[in-house]
Amino acid sequence: MSSATVASEEARKPAAERNAAPPARRPAWRDVVTFRGPPQPGLELWLSIAAFLAVLGAWALVAETGLVQPQILPSPFAVVAAWGRLFADGYIGDIGISVGRVWAAFLASALIAIPLGILMSGYRAITALLEPIIDFVRYLPVPALVPLTLIWLGIGEGSKITLLWIGTFFQLILLVADDARRVPKEFIETGRTLGASDSSLMKDVLLRAMLPNMVDSLRITLGWCWTYLIVAEIVASSSGIGYELWTARRYGKSPEVFAGILTIGIIGLVSDQAIRYLHRRWFRYLQ
Amino acid sequence: MSFIRISDVAKQFTTPDGGTIPVVRPLSLDIEEGEFVVFVGPSGCGKTTVMRMVGGLETPTSGEIYLKDKLVEGPSRDKGMVFQSYSSFPWLTVLGNIRFGLKYRSDISAAEKEKIARHYLDLVGLTPFADYTINRISGGMRQRVAIARTLAANPLVLLMDEPFGALDALSRERLQLQLMDLRRAERKTVIFVTHDVDEAVLLADRIVVFSKRPARILADIPVSATLPEKRGLDILDHSDFRKIRRDVLALIRNEERSMEAAE
Ligand SMILES: Nc1ncnc2c1ncn2[C@@H]1O[C@H](COP(=O)(O)OP(=O)(O)OP(=O)(O)O)[C@@H](O)[C@H]1O
Ligand SMILES: [Mg+2]
Repeated sequence: MSSATVASEEARKPAAERNAAPPARRPAWRDVVTFRGPPQPGLELWLSIAAFLAVLGAWALVAETGLVQPQILPSPFAVVAAWGRLFADGYIGDIGISVGRVWAAFLASALIAIPLGILMSGYRAITALLEPIIDFVRYLPVPALVPLTLIWLGIGEGSKITLLWIGTFFQLILLVADDARRVPKEFIETGRTLGASDSSLMKDVLLRAMLPNMVDSLRITLGWCWTYLIVAEIVASSSGIGYELWTARRYGKSPEVFAGILTIGIIGLVSDQAIRYLHRRWFRYLQ
Repeated sequence: MSFIRISDVAKQFTTPDGGTIPVVRPLSLDIEEGEFVVFVGPSGCGKTTVMRMVGGLETPTSGEIYLKDKLVEGPSRDKGMVFQSYSSFPWLTVLGNIRFGLKYRSDISAAEKEKIARHYLDLVGLTPFADYTINRISGGMRQRVAIARTLAANPLVLLMDEPFGALDALSRERLQLQLMDLRRAERKTVIFVTHDVDEAVLLADRIVVFSKRPARILADIPVSATLPEKRGLDILDHSDFRKIRRDVLALIRNEERSMEAAE
C-alpha cells in the first residue's frame, strides 16, 4: 500500500476522530495499587528506592538532631567514618575470612546434601535410615553446639566450619529431598519408558527437573550460613566480621558495630541478588 | 502366542486405611502385532490402570502380561508411553526432547541418532520449531513432541492415554489424522485410551469397551472388519461408522446408568 492511500484513508475519517487524543492510558500508579495488578517495573523500582532513602533519611534525622544519644544510635555519617577506619585497619581481610568460612561450609553442605537428598527422595530405605537422625539434629539449637565443636576441634577454622555445616546440612538435605519429590511423576515415568536406568534417571531427568527449585533452596541455605557464622565468630574467633563486631562492642564503639551489621547485610543482599540473577539467566526456559 | 497377551490380569489398590479397591477384574485380551486397539469405558473404570500394567508402570495383583513372549516386569524402552498431561522436558528444546528418546539406545551410532531425531521432528511437522523451548509452543505441538520422542525410542508398542484430551477440537482433529498417517507409515502396535467415541471409531482397528469399575471387557468390536483401513474425516458420515458409534455409546451409557443406580 502506498503512502498516498494511507493519507487518503486518514483524510476520510471524520474530523472529530482524526483530532481526538488516543484513549487515555491507565496511569502506572493505578496498576501498582490494584490487587494483583499488572507489573510496572519502572515505578516499582522507584518505590523501592524511595522507601530505602526514607529509612535512611529518618535515621539521619533522628541521629543528627540528637533525639537519640549517638552511643545508642550513631548517625549514618559516623557509620561511614567507622567503615573508613575499619578498612584502613585491614577489614577486607576479615571480610575475606568470613566469606571463606561461609562458602567452605556451604559447599561442604551442598556437595553431600544434594546427592543424599536425591537418594532419599527415591529410595524408601534411605529415608527410613536417615530421617529420624536428621529430624533430631535439625531441632538442636546450633549455638548450643559451640562448646562441643570447640572441645572436639579447638578454636581453629575446623570448629567454625563444622558448626556452620551442622547448622545447614541437615536442613538442606530435607529441602533437596522435597525438591526432588516435587518433580512430576510423568517425567520419571517418561524417562523409564525411554530406557533410562536408575542412575541416568536421577542424573538426566530428576536433577535437571528439580534444578531451578534446588538453586532456590541453596540460596536460602547460604543465608542461614551467615547467621551461624556470626554466632561462631562472636563466641570463638580472633578474626572475621563477627569477631570485629564483638570487639567493637567491647570498646563501646557503636559506629563500628553498626558498620559490621550493615556489612553483613550488604554481603547477604549482594549474594542473594547475584544468585537470583543467575537463576533468571540459567532457567530462562521457565518463562 | 499373540503379540501382546493379557492373561487373567486383575488389579486392586490398597487404600491408606488398609482396605482394598478392586479396579480391574480378571480379564484377558490378545492383541496382534500392528493392531490399533482403543480402550473406552465409563470414567474411572480402570482403562488407565490396564494400560499402565501393559506399560509395566503398575504391577498386576494377579495374572500376567506378555509382550512378544516376554513377561512384562517393569517399564522399558519396548513400551512407549504418551501421557495426557504434557510430559515434554521444559529444559530441552523441541529437538532436544526428541533426541532424548534416543539417548539410551545403544544399538545405533550417534550420527544415526541425529538422523532419526530429525526424521521424527520432520514427521510430526515441527522442523521450523526445532530450537524452541517447550514453554513457547502450543499444547498440540507439545503432544507432537511427546509422540515423536516416543516413536524415536522405537518401542514395540505405543501406549497413549488420552493424548489429545486436553486439546481444542481443531488441533485434536489434525493430530488424529497425523497419528493415522504415522501409524500407517510405522506399522506400530498401538493401545489408545480415550473418552471420545468419535475418536475411538476413527482411529481403531478394534474397540475394547470396559464395564464400570472393577473393569471387565463388555465388548470387543472389530472396527476394521466394516470400515476401510484408510480413513479420512469423511468417514464420520459413513453409515457403518455411525452404527458402531451408536453401539459403543449405548454400551457406555448403560454402564454409567447402572453406576448411578448403584449409588
Ligand atoms: N494408585 C492408585 N491408588 C488407589 N486408587 C487408584 C490408583 N490409581 C487409580 N485408582 C483408582 O482406580 C480407579 C480406576 O482408575 P483409572 O485411572 O484406571 O480409570 P480410568 O478408566 O482411566 O479413568 P478416567 O476415565 O478418569 O481416565 C479409579 O477409581 C481410581 O480412583
Ligand atoms: Mg484414565
